[in-house]
Amino acid sequence: MNIKKALSLSFLTYLLLLFSGCGGENPSAVEKPSDTPTFAYVTNGIDPFWDLCAAGVRIAEKEFGVQCEVLMPPKGVVDQKRMMEAMLAKGVDGVAVSPIDAENQTPFLNEVGQNTILITQDADAPKSDRLVYIGTNNYKAGRALGGLVKKAIPEGGEVMIFVGRLEQLNARQRRQGVIDELLNRPMQKLDQVKFDPVDASDLKAEGSKYIVLDTRTDNFDKAKAKSNAEDSMTKYKNLKCMVGLFAYNPPACIDAIREANKQNQIKVCGFDEQDATLQAILDGNAHGTISQQPWEYGYESIKMLKSIHEGKQPDAQYFELPFLVVDRSNVEEFWAKKKEMAALGKQQ
Amino acid sequence: MKKNVLGIFILLVAIFVITAVINPKFLNAYNMQNLIKWSSLYAVMSLGVAFVIITGGIDLSIGSVVGLVSVVLSICLKLEGMDPWSAIGITLVLSLGIGLLHGLLITKAKVQPFVVTLCGLLVYRSMGRWLTDNQSIGPMPYEEDAGYKNLEQIQGLDFLFSGKIALGSFNLPTPALFILVLSIAAAVFLRRTIWGRYLFALGNNEEGTRYSGIDTDRMKILAYVLCSLFAGIAGILFAFELDSVQPAQTGEFYELYAIAAAVLGGCSLRGGEGSVLGVVIAAAVIRLIYNSINMVGISTHLEFGILGLVILLGVIGDEFLKKAVARKQAAQKT
Amino acid sequence: MDESSSPLLEVSGLRKSFPGVLALRGVSLHLQKGEVLALIGENGAGKSTLMKILAGVQPADEGDFRVSGKKVSFRNVNDAMDKGIALIHQELNLCGNLDLAANVFLGREPTKAGLIDESEMRRQTEKFLSQVGLNLPVDTLAGSIPIGKQQLVEIAKALSCNARVLIMDEPTSSLSQKETETLFEVVKNLRSKGISVIYISHRLGEVKELADRVTVFRDGENAGELMQDQIDHDNMVKLMVGRELSEFYDRQVHNPGKPVLSLKDLRCPSYPQHPLSLEVSEGEIVGVAGLVGAGRTELLQTIFGVTPALGGSLEISGEAKEIRNPRAAISVGIALAPEDRKQHGLVLPMSVRENSSLPSLQRDASRGWLNENAERTVTQNAVKSMKIKTPNYEQMARFLSGGNQQKIVLGKWLAMSPKLLLLDEPTRGIDVGAKREIYKLMEKLAGEGMAILFVSSEMEEVLGMADRAYVMHEGQISGELSRDQLSEKAIMNLATGNLAAA
Repeated sequence: MNIKKALSLSFLTYLLLLFSGCGGENPSAVEKPSDTPTFAYVTNGIDPFWDLCAAGVRIAEKEFGVQCEVLMPPKGVVDQKRMMEAMLAKGVDGVAVSPIDAENQTPFLNEVGQNTILITQDADAPKSDRLVYIGTNNYKAGRALGGLVKKAIPEGGEVMIFVGRLEQLNARQRRQGVIDELLNRPMQKLDQVKFDPVDASDLKAEGSKYIVLDTRTDNFDKAKAKSNAEDSMTKYKNLKCMVGLFAYNPPACIDAIREANKQNQIKVCGFDEQDATLQAILDGNAHGTISQQPWEYGYESIKMLKSIHEGKQPDAQYFELPFLVVDRSNVEEFWAKKKEMAALGKQQ
Repeated sequence: MKKNVLGIFILLVAIFVITAVINPKFLNAYNMQNLIKWSSLYAVMSLGVAFVIITGGIDLSIGSVVGLVSVVLSICLKLEGMDPWSAIGITLVLSLGIGLLHGLLITKAKVQPFVVTLCGLLVYRSMGRWLTDNQSIGPMPYEEDAGYKNLEQIQGLDFLFSGKIALGSFNLPTPALFILVLSIAAAVFLRRTIWGRYLFALGNNEEGTRYSGIDTDRMKILAYVLCSLFAGIAGILFAFELDSVQPAQTGEFYELYAIAAAVLGGCSLRGGEGSVLGVVIAAAVIRLIYNSINMVGISTHLEFGILGLVILLGVIGDEFLKKAVARKQAAQKT
Repeated sequence: MDESSSPLLEVSGLRKSFPGVLALRGVSLHLQKGEVLALIGENGAGKSTLMKILAGVQPADEGDFRVSGKKVSFRNVNDAMDKGIALIHQELNLCGNLDLAANVFLGREPTKAGLIDESEMRRQTEKFLSQVGLNLPVDTLAGSIPIGKQQLVEIAKALSCNARVLIMDEPTSSLSQKETETLFEVVKNLRSKGISVIYISHRLGEVKELADRVTVFRDGENAGELMQDQIDHDNMVKLMVGRELSEFYDRQVHNPGKPVLSLKDLRCPSYPQHPLSLEVSEGEIVGVAGLVGAGRTELLQTIFGVTPALGGSLEISGEAKEIRNPRAAISVGIALAPEDRKQHGLVLPMSVRENSSLPSLQRDASRGWLNENAERTVTQNAVKSMKIKTPNYEQMARFLSGGNQQKIVLGKWLAMSPKLLLLDEPTRGIDVGAKREIYKLMEKLAGEGMAILFVSSEMEEVLGMADRAYVMHEGQISGELSRDQLSEKAIMNLATGNLAAA
């Protein structure tokens, strides 16, 4: 008898969770008429950056009268594949995805493309059949970040780069942009960027005052990101500037520097717009950051899906989102905008 | 034992029916194919760890073995251009070797299984990252790769390990055949050979089994070898399924899925209990939960929470059942 | 009822069952103030169960308890302690890393302002230690004193809780002669102070010396009672086994054949400094007697390869063999029914069938496939020849009684047709009926030419069953006794190292 009780208890709990899920969070999921287009917005992981994107998705959802699911795969390629498969099974009308491993995921992305509208955002899979890629020109953004570094340490010096993963094209492009700008190399075209090897160290060039010491990866492990920053301070006594390429990298660097009491010796330039980064810019502990204005990703992705769904083919395969250079001069204004966006996103 | 499997089977059916009622699209052929495919992949690992759990041991290195095997396989096929069957052979020998090493360290050097395999988890993960400079890789070669000359054969392997066989309108994923063959082999091994009997006996009472003249060390080594071998097979399947191997992430956390499935499927971490059918069904339940969460539209952030609760309740239910059976047996006294 | 006339402790109609065993079937017992009551009975008669119930360690199923005529119940250890009943465990429960004072007051430390009042605790401890005749500094570490003195500390601990009844379970099983004498002095002294003692022992000589009255249990029932003037060896044994001794141990004279096992200067890992030599021949039943911890179990384990010998020679039927593990021992025809049946003898969660066939699986298998027919035959033979009482072959061994469990152990070995059977405490925890069957089996096997070497702490068993006996003391063989030399006194002298008197 007891076993039956226990089992029925577990069913009940499961049922409860299922219904609380569809009842509480997304009441429209079952009730909306079936002619409302449904889209899936698939990220490459879990990060506050994607929450801001989701805000954009929600705004677009309201504005265009569509229905969207935001999916954040917790454990890499396997979860991303699994979640997209489930979306296909549900019969969504379009998918916007940030592929984790563009090159090797191509066959699967093509499979998705055959069954629904597929666009990429944030990171591209150029060899796949995706209809359009919405993204920042990460190489250009990287060069802009290099420009920030030049302003931060005009006298030149040693620079370290910190990043989550270099497997992603966007990470590689950003990094290359930073390196090329610092070493005064000529501008490269986005689709033909030549990359320095991932383990290249002590990069310097004639006529440049800057040395790019090394690029350290942390696989999205925030603790590792911080210890990478700490280790680099231990290893390189003359380090002048830390460059964080993923959203959480600049705050990790700022933390490490503050704990080592080296605010005056080491500058930080970063990417994205975590509050800690913005606060540090305001306090003078960081020089500046490059914002991709993430809400634009979510918003533009859904807008694009909707327009393709309505039969309008995109003008080009690449839709370039403008990025914004944030430094002390405009940080307050930008931060207010970010807060407003985040709040708007949460209303849904 | 049979009632045990019945409980988990009812759980499977119940979640299945609930999901299908809430979202009928759950039942479409495409979704069923995916469900079968993922269940098979994870069940291979779970079966492997079941051997070890039956002996009362644990293997935490499974995920890292999956990662390392898929990295080595990709390097051999894509970058080295090695003969594809030799590459498969090398990866299987590699996983056998890892299992043998675990077994020897545990039985001869007397290091606790938890420690041995925890260190394995760290070491193999790091080896995979070092071999690839932590760059993504995949088994399929492109034109510029050395392995391109074997493209046809590799595509053959790709079909073997991650293809689909058309059965009318339904495409059966090939991993389903793997789990079918492997689970029959495992069940026969555990129930019809003396070594299977020895594994159960030693899991229940290692000393008593040794006093009966059985080389318990050798049997334990065998269990770890089988576990790593199954993890290696899973590594090959995953590499071809995803076509993409991230040295730092592929297989991460999988040991816990495998152990969870083994436990939910009726294995006791104290050793001496377990059934192949139960483990395979439990692996399917876990994948079904994931799929069901997506199909119903629950926030994906709740995935682990729901999974954890279902496993916990399943195991509690199982304990109740065991107690009931024990009472019945005790009452059966002469 | 007037308090002085009613017994200090009175128990009646006490019943207790465990899964598969009815341990107590309505026993009764009473105890007067200042009385030493000896409780005797074979292993499995229910003595230890009764003691655990009185000390509140286990609850009774039913029964009537009265202390000084008042009805009480014993639900837990604190309950029993409140009523002044304290159990001195067979295995001592002192914390070796704490000093004597801390041990005596463990869990009841006197406090002052929330802190342990060390000086009060020491003063009290000294008082109680002197009551048991111990003159040791109270800050001595408990682990550093010999076992006999640890036992006295346990008694002091009981006294510190105002114990009126001390239950002593086999207190002398690991004591030397001298320590035993000291203990007796302490017990007699306590008696004169009005403290009552329930004394459980197998050593009938001790019982005779110490007890005012003897209560005998057999198979969970009262078998009888002996007043002081009736206490003698024959009376006690008769009540314990329920018949005349000669009838119980049904022995025939064997004519030993060629030696099967001969050890020359064998060195066991537990006592490597003492070389051991002995011999067992075909058709011979040889006993090994001695105190607990004398190294008897270790000797059997070395012969069986569990803890391989460090030196010396071991011959089986005249051929020198090196036995590195149990597998090697089995392959030369040795079998061991171990002392710890549940840990070493059986796989409890497995069935009768799976247990019976475990050693013979490999022999009967072809290329690793289980031979289910052979397995069934082996089980059938074991159940039939050993008269194992089980509802079916699939019953879990856990749910069988001790006697039936032991029969499975013997049955599984007989399927291997050993030349030499090693038995370690073969009748521990077994009821009288099963005991008798096991003795009969030993007799039958010896008659068929098997060599049997058995270790036993039960004096009667050695006296009754052995053709010859070795006695061990602290890792050495202190003597060998032929059948006509065997007596309780001779064994005890050798077992306690009193060589001169042997």
